[in-house]
Amino acid sequence: MDITFKNVNYIYQQNSPFAHKAIDDLSFHIPSGSFVAIIGHTGSGKSTLIQHLNGLVVPSEGEVRVGDFLLTKDKKPKNMKELRSRIGVVFQYPEHQLFEETVEKDIAFGPTNFHVDAEEIKRRIHEIVPLVGLSSDFLKRSPFDLSGGQMRRVAIAGVLAVRPDVLVLDEPTAGLDPRGQKEIMHMFYSMHKQQNLTTILVTHSMEDALKYADHVIILNKGTKYMEGRPEEVFIQKEALHRVQLDVPEVIQFLDQFEKKFNQPIPFMRQSIVDIAKSIRNVVKGDASK
Amino acid sequence: MSSKLVEFKDVSFRYGEEQPWVLKNCSFEIFENEWLAIIGHNGSGKSTIAKLMNGLLFPQEGEIIINGKQVNEANIWDIRKDVGMVFQNPDNQFVGTTVQDDVAFGMENRGIPRDEMIRRIDHTLAAVNMQDYRFTEPHRLSGGQKQRVAIASVLAIFPQVLILDEATAMLDPKGRKEIMQTVSNVQTSQKLSLITITHDLQEVVQADRVIVMNAGEIWEEAKPRDIFGKKDALRKIGLDVPFIGILADELKHAGIAISHEPLNHEELLEDLWTLHLKT
Ligand SMILES: Nc1ncnc2c1ncn2[C@@H]1O[C@H](COP(=O)(O)OP(=O)(O)OP(=O)(O)O)[C@@H](O)[C@H]1O
Ligand SMILES: Nc1ncnc2c1ncn2[C@@H]1O[C@H](COP(=O)(O)OP(=O)(O)OP(=O)(O)O)[C@@H](O)[C@H]1O
Ligand SMILES: [Mg+2]
Ligand SMILES: [Mg+2]
Repeated sequence: MDITFKNVNYIYQQNSPFAHKAIDDLSFHIPSGSFVAIIGHTGSGKSTLIQHLNGLVVPSEGEVRVGDFLLTKDKKPKNMKELRSRIGVVFQYPEHQLFEETVEKDIAFGPTNFHVDAEEIKRRIHEIVPLVGLSSDFLKRSPFDLSGGQMRRVAIAGVLAVRPDVLVLDEPTAGLDPRGQKEIMHMFYSMHKQQNLTTILVTHSMEDALKYADHVIILNKGTKYMEGRPEEVFIQKEALHRVQLDVPEVIQFLDQFEKKFNQPIPFMRQSIVDIAKSIRNVVKGDASK
Repeated sequence: MSSKLVEFKDVSFRYGEEQPWVLKNCSFEIFENEWLAIIGHNGSGKSTIAKLMNGLLFPQEGEIIINGKQVNEANIWDIRKDVGMVFQNPDNQFVGTTVQDDVAFGMENRGIPRDEMIRRIDHTLAAVNMQDYRFTEPHRLSGGQKQRVAIASVLAIFPQVLILDEATAMLDPKGRKEIMQTVSNVQTSQKLSLITITHDLQEVVQADRVIVMNAGEIWEEAKPRDIFGKKDALRKIGLDVPFIGILADELKHAGIAISHEPLNHEELLEDLWTLHLKT
């Protein structure tokens, strides 16, 4: 689904002394099928932005379009339920989306709500549970008696069980162990490709953005600060520093390497194996190879 | 010889009689003025260890001694004066109606005089860069702002043992570095035992010592450099090594004789430069 923000403002506690503008005249367009990373410092408006996508909040001004759904201050779509069945959101804190008495019921909640039949739900659960790195032993347990990372995995499973067209992921790997982080990102990416999803990833991991996204949007204080292809955006060190961000670690290293050896190794999204080879050539003094 | 602030002696724990043991015969010590990192796969028992340290849970077997006192139901309020903890999800610990009240709360419980309280509120909120949010309700903060406030609240009570359970997971990399710098300064200046539970391998590098948990058992206990030398074994138990270790490995494959396991960029660059001068 295409996603468009047109001059969106969002003000928390509008018309009160505490009014706070969290989104400030934000416009962008995400074509259907893109994998977009949204990056920005703490409090820059990322979570507020994504809550617009499934109508959890509506713009105070401006308009948000998600496929054929239009969301403005005065106009919430009538078929909100359909919108929510097509946009799956993994929230920043998984506890916020767990509430049933067992893991199984929790994962089934979304599809049940959207009238998927019971047999199909069962099938989906058995397919998804191993994908998020859990075993079927977890199904009868309470989602509140789990470790943080296990809760995160249940929350992700619940969103996938709905089979959304758009995946909205708010720091989905926070709390996962290193292997889990890799596996779950890889799983999102293969689903994105296989099912031709539109994926919006809020992340603090420049590495994941670099690896998976085809477009990045950098937010600063609720407005768009930069956007473009990751390999173009992430080399702009000074511009990123100005908004409290850093370039990915591999680029930081190549930068320090250039300073020490006085020879650049340009970053072109090459693999770490290729980077190691280029470094070897410089270190061994045969950079021409 | 610095004194022992935390001791686990053969501790085993399960969440119920019918349930499996989630900690099995764990023994370790933590000293004054020491930074210990605990890492391990999801569900390996890290948060359970943290909750045992401040008496939110009690072990079925073994004993836990904090600052010379055995943790039991009779003295948990005493223990909690010494042990400050930030939970994995900060929403579980906010008690104040404003950020400022929240920071004040722990101090009120400890009978800190009013002007000292005001001083510490100013100081700790500034240290985590949240001074502009004093009068905000904690539930109206962004994910990372909540974590900053939770850290300020615990720093304000000057604990002797400070446990951070994935307390910076929602911060941007720069913010995370700044906050950990602040915490590490407090740790050394007040000689705290700092225990950080984290999946951030970069943060582990800075600790004095690391405990690696695997399925409820202590799998390894060593200095960061020794831990990150065991790359394949770590990967088998759901963990990994920092970027710099991965790059060092690829350089070895490419035929560069790295002399020792680097912990940061500078060490690897230095090593490469020495090799370069020799060729
Ligand atoms: N419910 C709320 N009421 C009032 N203000 C809010 C509310 N939620 C967030 N804010 C404010 O809006 C701004 C944007 O918050 P948002 O949660 O969108 O940030 P974020 O980019 O997701 O940050 P983080 O990386 O820390 O999660 C922040 O300054 C925050 O304090
Ligand atoms: N309240 C509870 N009741 C029953 N079992 C629990 C409860 N809390 C945790 N567990 C189980 O105990 C084990 C250890 O959990 P713990 O929270 O200590 O893990 P952790 O190492 O902190 O993991 P994570 O990295 O995911 O936070 C897990 O298998 C978990 O499912
Ligand atoms: Mg957020
Ligand atoms: Mg935990």
